[in-house]
Amino acid sequence: MHKIFIIARREYLERVRTKSFIVMTFLIPALMLAVTVLPSMLMMKGGGGTKHLVVVASDARTADLIRQQLLKLSEDQKNRPASNSQMERDNMPSIGTLSVDADTDVSDAHRSALTEKVKNKQLDGVIFATKDALAQRKVSFLTRDVSGFITNAAIERGMNQALRRDLLKSKGMNDQEIDKAMLNVDLSPQSPTGTGNPQVVFFTVFSMAMILYMVTLLYGINVMRAILEEKSSRVMEVMLSTAKANEMMAGKILGVGAVGLTQIAIWALMVIVPSAAGAIAFAQLIKGVLSVKVLVYFAVFFLLGFTLYSTLCAAVGAMVNSEQEAQQLQFIVMMPMIISVIIMVNIIQNPTSSAALWASLFPLTAPLIMFLRVALQSPAWWEIAISIGLMMATIVGLVWVCGRIYRVGILMYGKKPTLPELMKWIRYA
Amino acid sequence: MYTIELEKVRKSYDHFVAVDDLSFKIEQGAVFGLLGPNGAGKTSTIRMMIGITAPDSGSVRVFGQPFDRRCLEKVGYLPEERGLYKKMKMLDQLVFLAELHNMPAAAARRNAVEWCERLDISEKLASKVEELSKGMQQKIQFIAALLHDPDFIIMDEPFSGLDPVNVNLLKDVLLDLKKKGKTILFSTHRMDQVEKLCDSICLINKGKAVIQGDLKKVKAQYGKNNVQIGYEGNGDFLQHNTLVSSFNDYGNYVEVRLAPGADPQQLLRMVADHSRVNRFELMEPSLEEIFIDVVGKANA
Repeated sequence: MHKIFIIARREYLERVRTKSFIVMTFLIPALMLAVTVLPSMLMMKGGGGTKHLVVVASDARTADLIRQQLLKLSEDQKNRPASNSQMERDNMPSIGTLSVDADTDVSDAHRSALTEKVKNKQLDGVIFATKDALAQRKVSFLTRDVSGFITNAAIERGMNQALRRDLLKSKGMNDQEIDKAMLNVDLSPQSPTGTGNPQVVFFTVFSMAMILYMVTLLYGINVMRAILEEKSSRVMEVMLSTAKANEMMAGKILGVGAVGLTQIAIWALMVIVPSAAGAIAFAQLIKGVLSVKVLVYFAVFFLLGFTLYSTLCAAVGAMVNSEQEAQQLQFIVMMPMIISVIIMVNIIQNPTSSAALWASLFPLTAPLIMFLRVALQSPAWWEIAISIGLMMATIVGLVWVCGRIYRVGILMYGKKPTLPELMKWIRYA
Repeated sequence: MYTIELEKVRKSYDHFVAVDDLSFKIEQGAVFGLLGPNGAGKTSTIRMMIGITAPDSGSVRVFGQPFDRRCLEKVGYLPEERGLYKKMKMLDQLVFLAELHNMPAAAARRNAVEWCERLDISEKLASKVEELSKGMQQKIQFIAALLHDPDFIIMDEPFSGLDPVNVNLLKDVLLDLKKKGKTILFSTHRMDQVEKLCDSICLINKGKAVIQGDLKKVKAQYGKNNVQIGYEGNGDFLQHNTLVSSFNDYGNYVEVRLAPGADPQQLLRMVADHSRVNRFELMEPSLEEIFIDVVGKANA
């Protein structure tokens, strides 16, 4: 045990002190921010300033109807309170301020004149809501930004509302009645055990599972590289003269793993600590969505899954002589994890199915699937116990096997071993 | 008391027998030479002594006890395949390796500094290994094997890649350790070094012991039937000669092994007839001579 600690400590300190660790620790969040937050921020902002639109309809009343509804939409959004009212879910991100003109000239000449204006950026968009178009419910929207789906969807919704209101009005309903008729239903699912909103729970648990998946993938590869480096640096013959191969293996896995956890801890702190708002939001999240139980299980399954896959990757590192060879095997090793992610959605919808049960017991899929089950459902305690027990046994067994492969692998360098040879290596004394 | 006792130790990999029923003992405080050509099984033998691999059959006793991993704390090993963590600082590396041998970090640090002073590399204590010259790395590896104050020191080709000054420096260190009662196992194919340092030897070839025992006795066994001749002139006559059983030309002189029963005086007269003799010395065969003779014959 003492030797494992010394080896792990060296591995940890040497890695944490490198420049690449420091760079990665700060670069990855920056990149994540750039990749995830920036585009959605840009999208949320919509076009920014005022958009100038023209509604072309066969008659002034229809044109004005649509105009009014679109203006109302942009007005509503501006005044939207920052609460989770029904409006918020109903409406998509802001489309910015609109200024809308009504127009009744449906001639082709006028149409090409307007087209020209859009082209020259004098106008931002033209809606051709002619009688024929409305009858077929096929309205063309002339815009330079055809892929601006948020604006397009908002306009579409505005027009739908305008037309429905008009139809209801023509049936003799008054404005209040129409408002009532247009109200959307807010379906709010409730879990019989938890208190949180299941949608949010789902999202949170899903994100946690993805974190588990990505970190395992990322650091598994690091462990593999570490073992490979060790093999090529030839230090191990001195090491093996005092430590056992599986002590070395365990030490390396723990050391590299601890580096990964340190990095994740730093990232978590970067998110939570700098702002009081972050800390409060986190506290809210735990209170509203996550129970302490789920957090504890997350830690347990995260550590087990991480260790399990690191060990598997270590075995790959021990078997091969070059990074190229490793990459091919690495994919096979990671397969169960990838499969877990693929079946994850299915399991979330059906956490009580027998497929879910088996996947949550099988050690290679258990880290993800059992965590999902624990978070979304309450499996019997013995199921959890068996799952954890099997994972631990697999880890210990793998460390032992890897140690053997490693020892023989480094002492008989050269060609890549075949499967029967590997079996022989494991049996070698 | 024996530091190491191998008893009919055997190790095979697939169909290849690396060590074939090898037995030898090393007395405490002795400098022992494990000799043999490349691929003879020297490294395989060493690996079994320190538990990197286990023998297929036979027994290994260390410090008078059946092999036990705990004894490794008292063994220092300098492998032939040198390797250090390249990015690690030299001092940290030494302390790390000593800690693995169960030495407290503070003591390890103190010893490491002392050793580095002794081997004249103390100015590089804070350097990373990759910044050091090959010779310095060699010295660090040498220190790493000795830092935890082992009683049994295994040196696999310790002098390879070092200049004569440093070879001398390390040789003195080893002799000093011998005086302190440490047992040293030397594995090499550099015979001149073995002759200078070793008390006893075991020459192995193809996994088997060919000659073993006290170095002086081994040499005496071969008798004083070697002649070193320094001469000027044509030496061809030595080649197909009934008096000579083997012949080795070193350029400045030749070493001749006399045929059984041949009279050295007769040879001297013959040499004097053919050339100008500067030197004619009857002597024990050098270890190298024995090595080439034995191994050459066996592999022929």
